[in-house]
Amino acid sequence: MRLAPTPRRLALGLALGLVVALGAAAWGAARASLRAERGLAAEDAEALARELAGALEASGLEPEAAARELARFAEAHPGVTAARVLDLPGRALVASTAPGDTGEKAAPRRLGFDEKPLYDLGQELRAAVESNRAGGGVPRPEIEIRTGETAIGVAAPVAAADGEVVGAVFLDLARGAGPGEAPAGGAPSPWLAGLLTLAAALGLFLAAGLGVPALRRRPGLLAGLAVLLFLAAVAVFGAWAAAGIAEELLARRFVRLAAWGAVLGLALLLFVGLGVGARTGRALARHRRAYLYVVPALLTMLILVFFPFFYGVVLSFTNANIYNTDQPVTELWVGLDNYAEILGDTDLVRETPAGRVIDYSSFYWTTGFTVVWTVTNVAIGVSVGLLLALILHRKGFALKPVYRVILILPWAMPNYITALIWRGMFHSQFGTINQLIQIFGGEPVSWFDTPFTAFITVLSTNGWLSFPFMMVISLGALQSIPADLYEAARVDGASGFQQFRSITLPSLKPALVPAVIISVIWTFNMFNIIYLVSGGFPGGSTEILVTQAYKIAFEQYRYGYAAAYSMVIFLILFAYGAWQNRVTRATEGI
Amino acid sequence: MTTNRWIVTLLTAALGAAAWLLPASAAAAPTEIVVWHAYRGAERTAFEKVIEGFNRAQAGKIAVSTLAVPYDAMADKITAAVPRGKGPDVFIYAQDRMGGWVEAGNTIESLDFFLDEATTKRFLPTTLEAMTYRGTVWGLPLNYKVLALIHNKKLVPTPPKTTGELVALAKKLTDLETGRFGLAYWYSDFYYHAPLMNAFGGGVFGPDGRPVLDSAANVKSIELVMRWLETDRILPAEPSTALITALFNGGRAGMVFSGPWFLGEIDPGIDYGLATLPTVDEAGGKPMRPWMTVEGVYIAAPSKHKEAAYELLTYLTDTPAAKVLALEGRQTPANRAVYDDPKVAADPELSLFRKQVEVAIPMPNVPEMTMVWSPATTAMNVITHGRATPKEAMTTAQKEVVERIAKLRER
Amino acid sequence: MTKKTLRRTIGRALGRLPLHLLVLFFVVITLYPILWVVTIALSGQQSLAYVDLPPDPTLLDRLRAITPWPRTISFENFRSVWTDQPFGRWVLNSAIVAGATTVVGVFLASTAGYAFSRFRFPGRRAGLMSFLVAQMFPGVLMLVPLYIILVQWLGLGSTWIGLILIYATIAIPFCVWMLKGYFDTIPKELEESALIDGASAAQVFLRIVLPLAKPAVAVTALFSFLTGWNEFILAATFMDEELLYTAPVGLRFFVAGYSQQWGYFAAGSILVSIPVVALFYVLQKYLISGLTAGAVKG
Repeated sequence: MRLAPTPRRLALGLALGLVVALGAAAWGAARASLRAERGLAAEDAEALARELAGALEASGLEPEAAARELARFAEAHPGVTAARVLDLPGRALVASTAPGDTGEKAAPRRLGFDEKPLYDLGQELRAAVESNRAGGGVPRPEIEIRTGETAIGVAAPVAAADGEVVGAVFLDLARGAGPGEAPAGGAPSPWLAGLLTLAAALGLFLAAGLGVPALRRRPGLLAGLAVLLFLAAVAVFGAWAAAGIAEELLARRFVRLAAWGAVLGLALLLFVGLGVGARTGRALARHRRAYLYVVPALLTMLILVFFPFFYGVVLSFTNANIYNTDQPVTELWVGLDNYAEILGDTDLVRETPAGRVIDYSSFYWTTGFTVVWTVTNVAIGVSVGLLLALILHRKGFALKPVYRVILILPWAMPNYITALIWRGMFHSQFGTINQLIQIFGGEPVSWFDTPFTAFITVLSTNGWLSFPFMMVISLGALQSIPADLYEAARVDGASGFQQFRSITLPSLKPALVPAVIISVIWTFNMFNIIYLVSGGFPGGSTEILVTQAYKIAFEQYRYGYAAAYSMVIFLILFAYGAWQNRVTRATEGI
Repeated sequence: MTTNRWIVTLLTAALGAAAWLLPASAAAAPTEIVVWHAYRGAERTAFEKVIEGFNRAQAGKIAVSTLAVPYDAMADKITAAVPRGKGPDVFIYAQDRMGGWVEAGNTIESLDFFLDEATTKRFLPTTLEAMTYRGTVWGLPLNYKVLALIHNKKLVPTPPKTTGELVALAKKLTDLETGRFGLAYWYSDFYYHAPLMNAFGGGVFGPDGRPVLDSAANVKSIELVMRWLETDRILPAEPSTALITALFNGGRAGMVFSGPWFLGEIDPGIDYGLATLPTVDEAGGKPMRPWMTVEGVYIAAPSKHKEAAYELLTYLTDTPAAKVLALEGRQTPANRAVYDDPKVAADPELSLFRKQVEVAIPMPNVPEMTMVWSPATTAMNVITHGRATPKEAMTTAQKEVVERIAKLRER
Repeated sequence: MTKKTLRRTIGRALGRLPLHLLVLFFVVITLYPILWVVTIALSGQQSLAYVDLPPDPTLLDRLRAITPWPRTISFENFRSVWTDQPFGRWVLNSAIVAGATTVVGVFLASTAGYAFSRFRFPGRRAGLMSFLVAQMFPGVLMLVPLYIILVQWLGLGSTWIGLILIYATIAIPFCVWMLKGYFDTIPKELEESALIDGASAAQVFLRIVLPLAKPAVAVTALFSFLTGWNEFILAATFMDEELLYTAPVGLRFFVAGYSQQWGYFAAGSILVSIPVVALFYVLQKYLISGLTAGAVKG
């Protein structure tokens, strides 16, 4: 790839890159300082709520006693704009210092419908306390804090003398209230700082580019200078912003975000600065028609396939599960842990009291089985389909249309019922296949008893379902071979088999190879048949990767792990696709 | 027409239009509520009749429309649509996914706020328990389903009262060669095995919420089934619901353990009877205690008409609606009072299930339950194919479940 | 017919006999499960059929047990399926969705396939691979993200367009590859001579290339149609009105949850397969046309 950096392109690239990188970093810094502020206030809010809850536990939840406690509390902590006490079993507001609860709405009174969320939250806290006390479950927070733009709300449970939660307090604090808040303001806004850094870097670059003749003649050096200035700007700004964040956890998150921004910015710098951007624009213009033909199809795929795909990628690096769906993704980051767990599942053999047994839930068994399943299925589908297509392609073969219509029926009929009919046929006592075996004098087989025989059941079912597709494709592909080729070969004395090998097969390649690749991909991910016919039995030995991923997501509720599993499936298939393409050069065509 | 006539016509038209428009604008439009359910056939007709009754009673104030969804798609549809605000206001579903939906958030609305003493007393206590998760009520129970004993009256004129009688009776009826069985049920499915397991005092979760799949009681219950299968030889191999139905309809099964759904599949030519599940001699005469699946009606959390929705919930679970659902929809309502109605009391099927539910246990509704089915069913399959002893397989299943729960609790 | 041609015809038929037998073998295997579906549908009952043997069965008993024929023939299942619910409407909906999927899918795929075959442009190989790659991610876990995109962001819930978009996206990759491969076998000389004669690029594509690729178009049309015709879970999740349900969704009502009525499901399955078979019958004649039919020298 020829690169063509020019001073103008480099300046533009540097500017754009810095905008992206510094913009991301500035945003991250602003958010971090906001969170830091809130975090501090949030800690204090929790302390205040506990204090009040403790006081109420001592005084009891009688309206007068509670009102007295609230009044005392409000005096001591003027930053608290509203304090409410709820009686949970009675569904009542016991006491309140909220400005709206006067006159008709003065406490004590029953809760109104609009206060249901408070009531529900109180019940949730009660449930959390109980389950934490019982142990053996997921530990849940017993205080709920919600931070908003101008206020912080905090809720805490109130227990009676016997320890049972009978009420809840709700406090509203003005932002920045509480004893230990950090002084706001003082430090310069990160946006301003970012802008200054951008201007400085760009200015330096332009000065060097315009002022130093040696650099103007050597675009390579100029490019290097641009990159250097970029990195310096990002580093300086990043260091300054990170130093301003007191809380270590937040600082680490900021650095991660700034790093991503830097990578993106650098990519943008290189893309535009080295002339790739210009070249892309030219190429787009020159091949307008081709792109016009191709883009609509690609666009639908982009929206409907690649977005969920990237969502899955991101999810696979977290340990998202049903208990932490409300936390943002950045909190749940575990990096490559999921992948390590999947690939590290090397225990193929397990010790049980019955002796050594193959552990069928092992990733490697499942992968091995999936590969065997795919290869045998596609082999059967292709051979049977091709064979039938060849026979039905012959001139003058009687009843062709009738045969063709019959042979397509497995594809036409909904496979939910046909798969279950196949399963029924393999029943050890009442299935027709064992009856057939017995008619021929054999012993009935218990098909779902061993992995091998269970494999035969799913193989037969899927083979039956998939050969019509291959047959139709082969029939279509056979039409593309001109008849003169066969004529010429016959005249030359070639036998039928030789004709098949040297004319038919190579001509079928362009149509068959994509069909095979796609068939491999679908069979690898064939969820329905395995689920319906063998259900993974016996003992999970006939599970394939995709049915495992499904179970992890919908039975074990481990969404992050399931996403990683799907990614592994994807990577295996991608490796296969790349290899297959290399071997057959299918993308080239004739 | 003359000008005068024109003017008069126009004025009349204008007045008419105003008269037509004004009342509509003066009266508020009724609150519209959407209900999703998975009923079909008789159940659906009965349900729609009840809804019609509600709409008539609330004419002008609340208007309910319903959508039938195939059962297989319901859970996915709820999980996808409701949290994004695109779902119904009310939906009907069993209680087994309830815990998961509560934890996922923004799916179902807690009902404690609305519930009062009178409404709470309406229900059979165990049904309300089934709709309670971590101390909060998340839906109102509409009806329950439990397993019972269904017998072919021609082959089994009087149903057995104890397992001893059951085995003796079944042995006489079973002829393995020709595929005739005294007893046929899906014994390798954990749900169908639960009545026996609960009779021995076993279960899935202990009192502290930890799984106890490998408890001695569970193992003993499975050993009993294996005795029936291998020693007494009264059960068919590789059972499935399809096989059981085919056997019973072909007159080749004397007794079946199944639920109300089975009744709709029975051939009209078979004269069948219902009885309570027998008591288990090997467990000291304790009754078989099936798991109760409660179908509840939930309010969707993002709904904008929760109070109106709750009105609908109270109506659906009240006695007049329950009567229609019982007699015409062939459901067994969770409403207590409906069973005092003479017509309902006289119905043999409804009163039999009512009797059976007295000893039923609500199926666990915690999210961890979905993690139990797979290992438990695998264990049952391995055991019934004779490739592991009950103790071994259940120990493996227990380990698996504990592992899975631990992974969820990490961090 | 003269005696000679008669002898030759019979001779040819006898020579073909082994082939016919082979095909018949596959026909029997193909038809056997389907005949069981027909049996269940015609039986008027609801249970899946199983082997029923009398005590001490003879060979004849066994043969009769494995023969898929109902003991009593009744059309009750068919009547009930058609009249007790808006089944006809559902089939019509499926036809609309599947038909539109076919048109959209084949159209987009043929233009894309043509471009990949004839033009050399940067990103060509990557584009082709990306169609393949799009299929590799297991779709069974994509329900919620797809719902968010289609219904929440694009607002296409309960519309035909939403379903058609998804089905087309599923079908297009294979169609692109199939059509591209087929276009590759059509000699460029045809187009070049037409261009010299003054035809526009679009005319060349529509009038010359596409007709020659009729077999591939037929295959991709059938494939796209079936993608939209038999799909269940996406249709059930995205459609919020009963009259908008497609046939697979309506069919599933019969085997919902614990209660499974196979008689109705079998009858419905047969009804649902008929349009597909009809479509295939129509497409057959395009399937066997192509270069062999036209006069191509070169």
